[in-house]
Amino acid sequence: MTIRRARPDRLQHFRPRMHCLKKLEAVVVEMQSGVKGSEQKLNVTTIPHVITGKDVIAWITNKMKSTTEESEAFGTMLVAYGYIYPLQNHRKLVMCNDSSLYRFQTPYFWPTQKWVAEDSDYAIYLAKRNIRKKGLLEPYEQAHYNHLHEWLNHKWDFIVMQATEQYKAGKERRKPDRVVFDCQERAYWIVNKPPRRTHSAMDSGLELLIDPNSDEKIPFDTYRRMNLFYQQAIMSSKVKSSVSLGALNKYVATYKNHDPFLAPCLPSNPWLTDNDSYWTLNMRQVEVPTKMRVERWSFSLFELLRDLRGRDDFKVFLKKEFSGENLAFWEAAEELKWGTASSMTSKAETIFKTFLVPGAPRWINIDGRTMGLTVKGLDHPHRYVLEAAQTHVFLLMKKDTFFRYLKSPVYKEIQKKALNPEAHNFSPAQLEHNAQNRSPGIHPLILWQLAEAEKAKAAAASVPVDVKALMSKLDRMK
Amino acid sequence: MGKDECKTMLDALNKVTACYRHLVIALGSTSDSQNLREELKKTRKKAQELAVANRTKLTSLLKDKSISKEDRAEYERLWVLFSSSMELLEVDMKRSLEIGQDFPIKVPTRHFIQTGMTGSTTTVAARAMSVQNMKYEADSNIDTVDLRELQSEITQVTQMMEEMEMKVQVAPWAVEAKQEAGAELKSNMSVGNSSVGVISICEEEPKEEEGGGSRDSGIASVCAVFVFVVILASAGILGYLVVNMS
Repeated sequence: MTIRRARPDRLQHFRPRMHCLKKLEAVVVEMQSGVKGSEQKLNVTTIPHVITGKDVIAWITNKMKSTTEESEAFGTMLVAYGYIYPLQNHRKLVMCNDSSLYRFQTPYFWPTQKWVAEDSDYAIYLAKRNIRKKGLLEPYEQAHYNHLHEWLNHKWDFIVMQATEQYKAGKERRKPDRVVFDCQERAYWIVNKPPRRTHSAMDSGLELLIDPNSDEKIPFDTYRRMNLFYQQAIMSSKVKSSVSLGALNKYVATYKNHDPFLAPCLPSNPWLTDNDSYWTLNMRQVEVPTKMRVERWSFSLFELLRDLRGRDDFKVFLKKEFSGENLAFWEAAEELKWGTASSMTSKAETIFKTFLVPGAPRWINIDGRTMGLTVKGLDHPHRYVLEAAQTHVFLLMKKDTFFRYLKSPVYKEIQKKALNPEAHNFSPAQLEHNAQNRSPGIHPLILWQLAEAEKAKAAAASVPVDVKALMSKLDRMK
Repeated sequence: MGKDECKTMLDALNKVTACYRHLVIALGSTSDSQNLREELKKTRKKAQELAVANRTKLTSLLKDKSISKEDRAEYERLWVLFSSSMELLEVDMKRSLEIGQDFPIKVPTRHFIQTGMTGSTTTVAARAMSVQNMKYEADSNIDTVDLRELQSEITQVTQMMEEMEMKVQVAPWAVEAKQEAGAELKSNMSVGNSSVGVISICEEEPKEEEGGGSRDSGIASVCAVFVFVVILASAGILGYLVVNMS
């Protein structure tokens, strides 16, 4: 028994979000008269109503007046949703434009938004299949079966009983009908619980509360707000499209090799091949970064500072130049922005004492107006009190230090040292093996501990060098 | 005893639910017909009667405060079985309403989906009603009339289930199943321990590259041919002996 109706049931749970289903159903019903069916011979039984892929695609081309490629795509979508299922090669949900055989699915097994494929139904199906195959389920089915046995254990008696009863009731039908029923059910569950590397079109997103097919009645207030919005939009200043398109063009040209959708990700995309060497090579603390990462640092100061490994490298450079206070101030301001509310006043105090007071150990060189504003703001510190100073410092770094960094020997050295990993080339058997042996990754606690250790080391290292104390120590040593 | 009665009634409800599901799956396809709608109606009515009977019995058993702990656990298990059956029934009824509305029988322009199923579902319905043969006596506008009845029945069932939830305090997740994984592979399944008979496991496989089920009929035909040959041979030998004797 599932826990019913945590929210009042207004018949508004629509999932998944597939708006096209009503129209697809109309098309499928029309197809019944249009596409010719033939018979399929299976040794002794003949089963009617078998259609070939090319007939379907020809009908779609004719009806929708589209090209063959579009009809093929449409046909594949029909198969992927489960309105038509393939008879040969049942795991590959595509419509091929040749004489491969398909059959229509019964309306009970059509995809709907209202009726989700329940786990208990799947368990009953797996139990029935277990009976028929005498215990030899496919590995993914066996995995699902064990999982459901654990989670639906309180219903398991019911599932077993229902499965045996449905199996016996199914035997009452004639032989060809039994075969068709088995095919139908199997096709339904392949669409709803696809095995690995089968792509069905079912979108199991979150539950929507609004029926995507219903027409919404727009109330008066929405029109009023729409009017206001459009009036303000007319009056707002606009950027010329040539300018914005130019910027977009530049962005795409710079980043296109780094986008894992557009360019292959070296060594291999972990989401596709289940091999996480990409992530281990690009970790926070890695000694030698990859070439792509180093190249990304040269795009802008923002990218350099955003990647913590790049920030480390920048710090090394700045230490050599003895101009680390800008970056330190910037980091402290970031901490203030993102930190907890309770620590804000104390952080503001330390920042004031370390960076802003004239004669402070790490005094930053910002113009008088900004300094005045900041100091006044620090009387009543809030999260964004250092925003103006932080932006000024960032611009200073961007216009001057960043370019020096890119030309410096530090950067050139790390560019030379950077790794360029080989692309993996996994065979399907190896992909299966990878998928079964996925490593659980690093525990977040360990990552947190490493980060804390890093912070402590950085804090110790960046204790401002007190020049006077150092000189007096040297004097004493002499 | 109350427990055995309950178990037989639950068995019956289970059977009817399974058959109802088979019938609903045939709706809208080429094996749909007026007979199917009538079968659906009769199966539904039987399911409702069984449901009401089960509910009264189980609620009276569960309300009894003076039962032992094992008994109570057993009744809770039966209650979970009952409510899961009812959930399946409710969903199937709602779906049959939708599909029934989408595929009316009498409209000639609306085609049924050519699913490949062409046989009738009489035997399934007969199994549900526990009769030998089904009698069909409805008139031709059964689909529209029936749908209205179906809507009222669905509201009845929904109300019943809400009442059940409110009145009976059973924690469904606390129930432990008696069957372990793979229990369906053993043939004697029922709520109690009465064996329903050995399931003859069919050997067919809906893979279209081979039709393994034909093996049975192939063997039968080979045996028939062999017997025929033996009879012919013995007739020939007898005839030869008769001819020789005379």
